[in-house]
Amino acid sequence: MKSSVESLPLLQGVIDCIDVGTLVLDATERVVLWNRWMDQHSGVMSAETLERSFFDLFPEQRGKRLEAAVGQALRSNLPSLLSQTLNRWPLPLYANKTAAEKGERMQQQITVTPLNLGGNERYCLIQVSDVTAAVQRENLLREQAVALRSQTLLDDLTGVANRRHFDMAIDRETRRARRMGMPLSLMMLDIDYFKAYNDHYGHQQGDACLEAVASALSTMQQRPADLFARYGGEEFAVILPDTPADAAVMMANAMCRKVRDLRIPHQASRTDERIVTISIGVASSDSSNAGEVYDLINAADRALYQAKACGRNRVHSQ
Amino acid sequence: MKPSTVLIVDDSRVSRMLTRQHIQVRHADWIVEEAANGDEAIAKAKGLQPDLVLLDVNMPGMNGVDAAAALRAMLPNAHISLLTANVQAATRQRAEEIGVGFMEKPITAERIAQLIAPLEA
Amino acid sequence: MVRLTELEHDALVELFNIGVGQAASAMSEIVNETVTMSVPAISFLTRASAAKLLASRSGGNGRLCGISQHYSGAFETEAILMFPEEKSQEIVRLMVGEAMPLAELSAMEQEAMSEIGNILLNSCVGSLANLLGHELHGSLPDYHVGYSEEILAQAGSEDTAVLMLHIEFVIERQQIAGDVAFIMDMTALHDLKQHVAGFLDRAIGGAQP
Repeated sequence: MKSSVESLPLLQGVIDCIDVGTLVLDATERVVLWNRWMDQHSGVMSAETLERSFFDLFPEQRGKRLEAAVGQALRSNLPSLLSQTLNRWPLPLYANKTAAEKGERMQQQITVTPLNLGGNERYCLIQVSDVTAAVQRENLLREQAVALRSQTLLDDLTGVANRRHFDMAIDRETRRARRMGMPLSLMMLDIDYFKAYNDHYGHQQGDACLEAVASALSTMQQRPADLFARYGGEEFAVILPDTPADAAVMMANAMCRKVRDLRIPHQASRTDERIVTISIGVASSDSSNAGEVYDLINAADRALYQAKACGRNRVHSQ
Repeated sequence: MKPSTVLIVDDSRVSRMLTRQHIQVRHADWIVEEAANGDEAIAKAKGLQPDLVLLDVNMPGMNGVDAAAALRAMLPNAHISLLTANVQAATRQRAEEIGVGFMEKPITAERIAQLIAPLEA
Repeated sequence: MVRLTELEHDALVELFNIGVGQAASAMSEIVNETVTMSVPAISFLTRASAAKLLASRSGGNGRLCGISQHYSGAFETEAILMFPEEKSQEIVRLMVGEAMPLAELSAMEQEAMSEIGNILLNSCVGSLANLLGHELHGSLPDYHVGYSEEILAQAGSEDTAVLMLHIEFVIERQQIAGDVAFIMDMTALHDLKQHVAGFLDRAIGGAQP
């Protein structure tokens, strides 16, 4: 470290200005440095601490994590972290006078680091940070995240509609189709031998494959009411309102072709070409057999199962 | 003085060797037997009738504490001690409850010396 | 790949068990419950095999939480404690003892996991260093989340070796399994083997095969 100004007073000035409690213990655990932050927040002034054993000053720390950490720094040369989550308010430190009067300790994060100054001198540096504000922010953010999560309609990984969006849409479209007497088609599709892909190429690449397939397929839906959604892990679903069975099957075939044309290598696939392929099950309802939501989903699922049973990389409709 | 008999119970071969080494270096004439788990220890102890049993705690099958309790009942006059890396307060307490000693690992000459001292008296 | 003799392998398992025994004791102080930890097995793997092994065991969504610390001195290694992501949330909740709503691991819980990693890794490595008679210098913990390949990619290069420890935790009658990976290059592996051989020499007089 270099500085142009006379070092020692500058350094002392810096240590007394920083917003971190800073204290140093020697090899016998006596205090040799105690900065102004510690003065201000502990109510114990440095004059009272110097040359005194830290654990005489804070006897309730004996037998606790802080004592073990100091020991590990001085005797094994290893640093320790005391998180505020597992060590609630270890030291009697207060944000301000009011908090001190109420006995409200601050949330503290403490690190204990060995300090070797050449020769055989080993010291232990203890730094204390006030994390009260961080904890409060964290709690607020967590509440907000939970609220947001419950409202989102998009899948994290692929950016397409998520299962929540699908559930709402299929419900709405089934009722609408029944009311308007219009046909409704549903596709269920998934990536062939996807578990084998993950096992062979690793999960990271598995994610990339899902993204690529979803991206290629989701752009094919023509109309605003058509919905491409991620239904489950490697399963997707497509809702096609006002679409009869034959048109849906035509689109499904085009989708199969499009994934084949991506030519993503899949060494562990048991289809001929060892590329990533999909299987699609198509089910449709029209005014004559308009049923419940689960009827349509079950029918599409059964059709998907048939497509798999017949060799994968194909479309089957109910 | 009549040579003593010691039974060492530990699933780690290195630990058994270390313990044996520290004993035989001081008493080449003592009989030192080994067992790799609780069941083996109980079987061997029946025939051996050891004066001292040293047991690790974390072993496959029957753990050292249960084995120690069984041996305590079987050998009322033997010195029995846990010799273990499991340094939980709860384990120490259990040792006290069943009437056996407790010694922390790592296995050192000093610690073994402490454990065999009652036999040397 | 450097090979350890059966005895050296056994000695290393024993040394790590002593280390985690102390970590368990420290953690049970914090949680006021009995915490048992043991190392039933260790293995030496390439980084690729280690990643595959961890992935095959992880279940859930395959994502792991990893806490890493860098060590140098007697030998050089990046040590990483890993748990399946869902399990790590369970551990923090068990240690903190509160009924928390199911939510993503927040920064404060990450800090708690970092401390758990810090305690465990320092215990393992510290006791190893003490018993082998050489000192190490260590870093403060870093927190990562991701798939096994990503987490193990923290350090090392193509022909990096991984010393894997499988760890069994029992907290409040809940059994949780984790892994510690020590990422080392050939030099570090050699150093470690030499230190273990030296320890055996001193302790047992090198008489046994």
